[in-house]
Amino acid sequence: MNKDKCVTGIKELDIQMDGGIPVGSTVLIVGSSGSGKTTLCMQFLVNGAKMGEKGVFFTITEPLFKLMSNLEKFEFFDKSLIDNGMITVIDLRILFERMGLDVEKYTVEDASALLDVIKDIAKELEAKRLVIDSITALCYRLQSREMIRDFIFKLGTFLATIKCTTFLTSEVPPREFKFSQYGIEEFISDGIIFLGDVERGGDLIRTLQIIKMRGVNHSRAKYAMSITSRGIELAPLLKVEEISSLLSRKVR
Amino acid sequence: MTTTLVEGLKERISTSISMYESLGIVLPGTNYIDLIQALFGCIREHPNDAWVYIAVTRPFESFTKMLGDLSRYPNVTFVDCISRASGIVRRDEQCVYIESPTMLEKVVMEVMNLFNKAPENAGKCLILDSLSTLMIYNDPPLVIEFFYHLLNKMRSENIHTISLVIEEGEGDKYINKMIYLNDKILKVRDTFI
Repeated sequence: MNKDKCVTGIKELDIQMDGGIPVGSTVLIVGSSGSGKTTLCMQFLVNGAKMGEKGVFFTITEPLFKLMSNLEKFEFFDKSLIDNGMITVIDLRILFERMGLDVEKYTVEDASALLDVIKDIAKELEAKRLVIDSITALCYRLQSREMIRDFIFKLGTFLATIKCTTFLTSEVPPREFKFSQYGIEEFISDGIIFLGDVERGGDLIRTLQIIKMRGVNHSRAKYAMSITSRGIELAPLLKVEEISSLLSRKVR
Repeated sequence: MTTTLVEGLKERISTSISMYESLGIVLPGTNYIDLIQALFGCIREHPNDAWVYIAVTRPFESFTKMLGDLSRYPNVTFVDCISRASGIVRRDEQCVYIESPTMLEKVVMEVMNLFNKAPENAGKCLILDSLSTLMIYNDPPLVIEFFYHLLNKMRSENIHTISLVIEEGEGDKYINKMIYLNDKILKVRDTFI
């Protein structure tokens, strides 16, 4: 196994990235509601834990019990990984409350305190994989673009020093080819994986595309993605329809 | 007469798949049932091989009616592309259901998953029933692209492919384009035997 690469364990995704994500990278997982961001992140953590890499999952969007009950439906999920501490799941809203940060907007000091706590947790748990679900919800509490930039940059830099690969989920409106809510997150991240969909005969086909991955000669092809009880699976997307719909749009 | 036709078809299919990687079968709709019987005769005669049957022309249920108890064919698994889209909600251990026949990539994923579960040294064979029905649900160029992908994927994995085309009237230009991607073509006619 290449020690410089963090293997996601999703075979087709790793092939697209020439073996995996460079260790210590911060990757933005972009998608609208229901696009599979949380599943992709959890599969990344579980596969890592099965290879002996500890992971931390910070959730803001879903209560823990709901998250767990959704995950239990997947064959890849193994609850013992949580029981034995290989994966730690933390509800950030509870953390905010305990830190007295249950306010609408954070000051610079609040943001700095939160950053320190996340860093301490990652370091103490010796995490090699970390997920924040979602960075959009967290950034909502930061008051300016500068604070968002500073927060993600400092978090990413620290996690890179401890060789922890990070997934930050970014929520975007459906059918929009944008990578973040605040227009900053994508520039600070080392990688962007975009989860979207295409319409075919009235049905929606899920898609996955690697937009950027620093330090990797990665594929930029769009893949069809399927979420089954086995987790995320990918196959090359058939292109003919997309090309013909683009052409018809130009003609109009 | 029908028995002779089925036996003749069975023999030709068995011979062709032992010699060629991909076989295209063009048949009139009236001979569909005969061909199904011949194909399942082949499946039964190769009990150690793993077979996957992509059902687009008829739902999985209809095969249980046509062939009786499918547990007599434990080496075949169906990928049913039309039941869910028609609102039929059933579960069966011998069948994987796809939400819609437009989800062609998902068909490839499920086929590969099923073959990956098969014993490594088993012979593997895929039946696609049929290219002509897939074109009812999808644009013909998309079906051609799908068939190219599927054939090449199967060839790279040493999996034999049998693809059916149910002919109605004059041969369609897209069908002609596709069927000739196969290594061997078998045309079923009334004068076949």
